Amino acid sequence: MIPAVRIEKLDFSYADAKSVLGGITFSVSEGESFGVIGPNGAGKSTMLLHLNGILPEKQPSVPSIYIYGQPICEETLENIRRTVGVLFQNPDDQLFCPTVYEDVAFGPQQFGISNDAVKGIVADCLAKVGLSGFESRSPHHLSRGEKQRVCLAGVLACQPKILVLDEPTSDLDPRGKRDLIRLLKTIPATKIIASHDLELVFQLCTRTIVLDKGGVVAEGITRDILSNEALMLEHGLEKPHILLHSHPHTSA
Amino acid sequence: MHHDFLDRYSRSEGPLQHISAAKKAVAAVGVILIILAVPIRSSWLFVPILAALIALVIMSRIPKLFFFKRLLLLEPFVVCVAILTLLQENGAVIFASIVTRSTLSLLTILLLTNTTPFAELLQVLKKYHFSPLFITVLALLYRYVFVLIDELERMQRARSSRMFRRKRMHVWGMFSSMIGQLFIRSSERAERIYAAMCARGWK
Repeated sequence: MIPAVRIEKLDFSYADAKSVLGGITFSVSEGESFGVIGPNGAGKSTMLLHLNGILPEKQPSVPSIYIYGQPICEETLENIRRTVGVLFQNPDDQLFCPTVYEDVAFGPQQFGISNDAVKGIVADCLAKVGLSGFESRSPHHLSRGEKQRVCLAGVLACQPKILVLDEPTSDLDPRGKRDLIRLLKTIPATKIIASHDLELVFQLCTRTIVLDKGGVVAEGITRDILSNEALMLEHGLEKPHILLHSHPHTSA
Repeated sequence: MHHDFLDRYSRSEGPLQHISAAKKAVAAVGVILIILAVPIRSSWLFVPILAALIALVIMSRIPKLFFFKRLLLLEPFVVCVAILTLLQENGAVIFASIVTRSTLSLLTILLLTNTTPFAELLQVLKKYHFSPLFITVLALLYRYVFVLIDELERMQRARSSRMFRRKRMHVWGMFSSMIGQLFIRSSERAERIYAAMCARGWK
């Protein structure tokens, strides 16, 4: 079976010549939730930006990323961006339209879907994230949790098969985090989640890789990876509390 | 700064707020064209126009002081532009004419923008086939100008809480470096926004 995402020896460095990613290789099966963890500056966000061709600015002649077997190159870029939806770290960067409706409608409109169909999609996606009735609100005036959910609705509106999430719980309060985890569990798409929030990774991801200094240092079943205290400490992480004791809300 | 600085009262209750954005926009452009077309020798015509605008201000149920304050805020720009005319022959008349026309036009625009949500005005521009790029730039400006101002305020707060000396030169030096910082942060943010737009199919 063709994997949803296959990365083979991905290298990348920014213009200042500092190498950010070196020889990253892994694959993700369809329907799988896949965790990417690592310390600050490990290259997690940079790697995620490669998954829908935002980086590198010019696609290389020899592709190193395949989405459902299709290599990412200039010709396939539009199709790839329909298949891979990215939820960015800072909602203010992602909510660029004056109203919530326009923002959620942005993707479908770009893909040439008719206005009537877009209305239905927006209503459906806002209902999914529990924000029906927010259509005319200005993104600037929403709480952080609400902004994050509108961002998710905007990504879901593009009906991606693969959902890429970059630190989805950063700045969320515990309740906002629980709500988001519950919501993400209901979304059937293949998910790739980069986060420092190891409880989120534990609750959502079946397999996980540890990224450090631009390379994959470990790969395996999430519980095995997160339980390996020596590995966690060596790469600036910690064994999550959820593996040491359980909260009433997480044990249910 | 609050996000509704530009269209604070646009969602308040009032008869003008219920009229469709397209009708109001066309009417506002019409009024401005009339203001510009009044010949200098018929300056008395400005009186009924002003009276009509004041009647609309009252109808809008928006505090009159709000309009007055906004006009005061914008008037220095008008005067700065008009002041050069004083140097030419018959300058005082031209100066008075420019200031009057600009003030009346500003009042018209203030009435339009404060009785119509900005997003609806953008829809009107779309309806009349203005350049999509122009509309996108306006939408992004409306969305991000307050994010940037908030960022500046946060930087100012952070600076104030660690600034112990209050020498004027020092303050100005800090201010200029803050503007530089804001510029770099804005350009980085612009890149991230562009990436987010591309991720959802922007071409």
